[in-house]
Amino acid sequence: MSGGYRQQPGGAGGTTRKDGKRVAGKQAFPPPGSGGSKPNMSPRDLDYIPESVGGKEPQPAGSHIHDRARTGTSVGKEMPLVDSNAKVTGQAWYGDDVRLPNEVIGKILRSPHHYARIKSIDTSRVEALPGVLAVATGADSPHRFGVLPVTKDEHAMAVEKVRHVGDLVACVAAIDESTALEALNLFDVEWEILEPVFDPKKGLEDSDEPIHWRGKYHLARTNVQKRVFQEFGDRSLVEKPHAQSHGKWKMAGVHHGFTEPHAVVAHWDPNGRLQLYTPQQVPHYTHRALSTVLDVPMHQINVIRTFVGGGFGGKSDPFPHEMCAAILSRKSGRPVRITFDREEVYWINRGRHPSHIEVKMTADEDARISGFDIDALIDGGGFASFGHVTSYYNGVLATAPYELGSFHYTGARVWTNKPASGAMRGHGAVNTRCAVEVGLDEMAETMQVDPIDLRLANLLPPHSRTISGFRITSNGMREALEKVREGSNWDEKFRQLPLGKGIGIGCGFFISGSGLPIHWDPNRFPHATVHMQVDMDGGVTVHTGAADIGQGSTTAVAQVVSEVLALPIEMIHVRSHESDTSPVDLGSYSSRVTFMNANAAIRAALEIRERLLNAAWDILGYHPDNLVMNDRRIYYKHDPAIGVSYLKALHKAQEDKGALISSGAYRSPPMGGVHKGAAAGLAPAYSFSSYVAEVDVDVETGMIKCTNVWAAHDCGKALNPLAVKGQIIGSCHMGLGQVLSEKMVYGRTGHLQNPNLLEYKIPSVYEMPHVEPIIIESCDPEGPFGAKEAGEGPLLPILPAVVNAVYDAIGIRLRDLPLTPDVVFKGIEKALKQSEYDDPTDLPSPRLTHSALQPKLVARANEHKIRDKARQRTEDTSPYVNGVLFGFDPNLPLEDQVEGWRTATEPDPEQLAELGLAGRAWLKKEQRQMGGEQ
Amino acid sequence: MLMPPFTLHNPKTVEEACELAGMLLEKGEEFDWVAGGTDLLPNYKWHINPKPHVISLAKIDGTDTLSLHEIGCMARLVDLTTENGIHPLVVEAASKVASSLVRRNATIGGNLCLDTRCFWYNQGEDWRRSIDWCHKADCGTGADCRVIPNQNTLCVATYQGDIAPTLMVLDAEVHLIGPQGLRILPLAEFYQLDGMTKNVLKQGEFLLKITLSKESAKRTGTYQKLRVRDSWDFPEAGVAASWIEGDVSTLQIATTALESIPRCHPEEVAAILEDGWSGMDSVKALALSIRKAIKPVNNTSLPPRYRKSMVRVLTKRAVEKILEK
Repeated sequence: MSGGYRQQPGGAGGTTRKDGKRVAGKQAFPPPGSGGSKPNMSPRDLDYIPESVGGKEPQPAGSHIHDRARTGTSVGKEMPLVDSNAKVTGQAWYGDDVRLPNEVIGKILRSPHHYARIKSIDTSRVEALPGVLAVATGADSPHRFGVLPVTKDEHAMAVEKVRHVGDLVACVAAIDESTALEALNLFDVEWEILEPVFDPKKGLEDSDEPIHWRGKYHLARTNVQKRVFQEFGDRSLVEKPHAQSHGKWKMAGVHHGFTEPHAVVAHWDPNGRLQLYTPQQVPHYTHRALSTVLDVPMHQINVIRTFVGGGFGGKSDPFPHEMCAAILSRKSGRPVRITFDREEVYWINRGRHPSHIEVKMTADEDARISGFDIDALIDGGGFASFGHVTSYYNGVLATAPYELGSFHYTGARVWTNKPASGAMRGHGAVNTRCAVEVGLDEMAETMQVDPIDLRLANLLPPHSRTISGFRITSNGMREALEKVREGSNWDEKFRQLPLGKGIGIGCGFFISGSGLPIHWDPNRFPHATVHMQVDMDGGVTVHTGAADIGQGSTTAVAQVVSEVLALPIEMIHVRSHESDTSPVDLGSYSSRVTFMNANAAIRAALEIRERLLNAAWDILGYHPDNLVMNDRRIYYKHDPAIGVSYLKALHKAQEDKGALISSGAYRSPPMGGVHKGAAAGLAPAYSFSSYVAEVDVDVETGMIKCTNVWAAHDCGKALNPLAVKGQIIGSCHMGLGQVLSEKMVYGRTGHLQNPNLLEYKIPSVYEMPHVEPIIIESCDPEGPFGAKEAGEGPLLPILPAVVNAVYDAIGIRLRDLPLTPDVVFKGIEKALKQSEYDDPTDLPSPRLTHSALQPKLVARANEHKIRDKARQRTEDTSPYVNGVLFGFDPNLPLEDQVEGWRTATEPDPEQLAELGLAGRAWLKKEQRQMGGEQ
Repeated sequence: MLMPPFTLHNPKTVEEACELAGMLLEKGEEFDWVAGGTDLLPNYKWHINPKPHVISLAKIDGTDTLSLHEIGCMARLVDLTTENGIHPLVVEAASKVASSLVRRNATIGGNLCLDTRCFWYNQGEDWRRSIDWCHKADCGTGADCRVIPNQNTLCVATYQGDIAPTLMVLDAEVHLIGPQGLRILPLAEFYQLDGMTKNVLKQGEFLLKITLSKESAKRTGTYQKLRVRDSWDFPEAGVAASWIEGDVSTLQIATTALESIPRCHPEEVAAILEDGWSGMDSVKALALSIRKAIKPVNNTSLPPRYRKSMVRVLTKRAVEKILEK
């Protein structure tokens, strides 16, 4: 035997007699016991142990509170996801893979009308059809539900009206699919057709029959679901701009395009409890909504999350079909399965809002950004979904990473008779971000400065506060910009490439977890809880409600537990599928999972670790401060020979109480302002990213091919660099789809014309550019081992990077997304008409000659670089708030220093006349103010 | 999605197939032919005009012949992209059809007889019900066309095959066989307006093979395809051009994906040649006149105005390319 310290508990001697029989009472715990596949302890991997605790892992961004829990086992190492074997061998069980004995098939009757009142539904012919086991209509489910408690506006099936083509009207369960399909033709529905609204601009106007009615809070008789006004800072700064940009954007709605269609199986078990199998990102919301809709207490429902074949935000609402399956199953007494066709997936939608966005921005003579003025009118479709939040995000998530003199935002979300929009990767931030970043490019052009330098000279530093009151902790924006500039060879290419070839920059800023759990007070119940159990065999079972939707949250949790306990990852078993066994968790949205869940898991693991170390102390006589945990062994730090195997320590710790059980939770710290809507966009940490994209544009056809992307993303600390790179490349793919080819096309009759994966054009691998993922590690003080999100933020910069690159290639600013070839061609035709040329190949390429501002910006950026480094490493702990760049003292309230510094959430009466498109919603009054419903 | 039930017939010989077709016709039973199934079966899954009987050509021997002069209807597109000896222009077009996955099943016969497409038509049943059906799949309602409203006599669904225009400019002939026997005609005469009629195939007839003359083998050409995703999209416009090298008077141009049928453009070419060939100027004039000759409608993913403009670019590129060779 050689190669280190054996891990098997007990020795060879003493437990067996010479004749091989057991000595009474001397038997050690049965083999294999030690866990892991290697019999001997591996040496400590110092490359993955931070400098601050004696390892060799460099920490340019400073040390971290979790450094002492690092063992060099898993964190920071490229690891395949723990569920990858199941997936690559086809054994992962997705929604439609669930097969229960005696199950029957449910089908949904969908509205053929955009907007109609249901006068009556006669189900007698359906019920008479042999093979039909249950029929349900809206009358079976009068209770409303919705993902946000403030906007519960959905029913399992239409109760009074249908609100879009494809809205649910009734459902039926039958012995097989063909019978169920046949049954759908036997419903007799009497309709009263209502006048539909498709154009969100029309939604701002009064209507005879608003799509929903909000009683005293309803805005006149419009279809406005939510309006937002926010104004911060010194608006006088924008009055005499040195440079400005003004762009009106039209962005088409896009869908998540996940591979797995929605599917659900519901089964009322023999004890009368509902077992519901569904590919959900947020099983807890479904759990709550089921309880409401079915009138059953939550503890009588077990929501089982199957593997999720992609979510991207599109599986985070509680869905009506989940309710339908439960209702049909209750009626029929049989398990009921409903699987969607692709067009049904598009009808339930929840994709990114079709938007009209207007961005005005100004800069002063020092190229400081004196104001952002954003107006976003977003098309919500038939239901509220996450729209309340989206309405805020479209504005507030543009308040960083730049320091602003002032910020003005008006937003409105309107109901239209289309499938409901909702949350999609980069929720609410993507469209405005694109408009803002392109605006910056345009301002840089007017000021004749390099757009990267313009950004570098206007960044908020680490540990600062945005104009809207968000608390920024770690911030790797500067490094991200520097890395992509270097990687792309920007300085050799920008404004120097021939016609048809272009390069562009774009940045991103996104939340890493939402600061406010929607359903409860964060001070009274944690965001995330993790339970941990270690029994005799040494395996660690982790119970979490975090929903792995392919992003690798299960792996992240397994990794951090493995790291803290110094156990191989195969000894960590994550159980996260059932609400019966999972602690309550908010699931996978707003990029919260790794941040919150891994933090909770670290706490739970630290508790186990303490007990193990105390047990080792008992055995070895060395205080835990002098003990090292490494690969299934605990030993005296100056002499590895004095040690005890993990199992032995574990068994010692278990002597009095059996399995070790622990629990860890995560709660976000108190933060943010007090103004209305201050909680929207608040997050315990923010991610930053910067991309450079290179494109080829065919000037004759308008075809764009994105060829190269340098993608830098600050994820705090890459717990698993492989997964982070995957997220960066995947985000890039998704964003490219939105900017180049994907759109939900609503034709002249208001129908969604392309509810299929042939005509809804998601780029294939063939259209993918070469993406160079660059991971930036700014080491977030509150993130697990310093980590922040990497799942959504990386999507943001690709859109503006491509749009800016197209400008660099052909000198034309396009603001109509996606940039399908016809849109580009139209732009080229227009440019030709305005020029002296006939042939597009003669068009001039934009060129740049630096103005006198350029060296000033470079100098300022260099100064800020030093400032930022000191702040990042907390060598400088002075307060910094947005406004310091404009000469304000961070130690005094800005309102006291600047006359006219505003924090307003409603427009002044004199502002009403000049508000943008969405701002017009502020011209209307709520019913209660009109003397209507009180 | 559930395929509607149908009876599948698997004749072993051409004669048996014709006999079967005749028999079904006599009984008044409706049927479809199926080759690779990549066009028909997705439509069936969407319940678009399904028939109670489907006759498969897959088991018939000798229908997958492949040579410079003869291509059997069951020749798979993937083989047209890899086999030696096929005309390079056909290879070029075949390798641009759909995706490699589809090309493994799809056949030349199916590609030439491709059903016309329209985004009011290629939709699921619930969807089509929501627009009260359309002329091409009216489910017995006599519904109007949704592209050109207020009429139900003309269907303007678009033919989006890639290979037809290339075979047209190579003067290919098609062999059609049915209960009434065999007939041979130029591919250029095979297609027939409108989007529902599609071609001259009579009930019970199917396309047996394509032949290319020795003359056509001398031709060289190119196929220009417009689509959003090069990986697998149907053409939004396609232009094929060929000539006998050095002799501009032999120039032929055909277009696809712009109207209900692919079309050869001999008049437009002749008009330009009449004025005397003057290099690039003639190319531009020709491109413009082809653009004027076609009338796309709004039923594919890119708008008709754009597709029309692109015909000019594609024609220009195609002719330039062959002249350069």
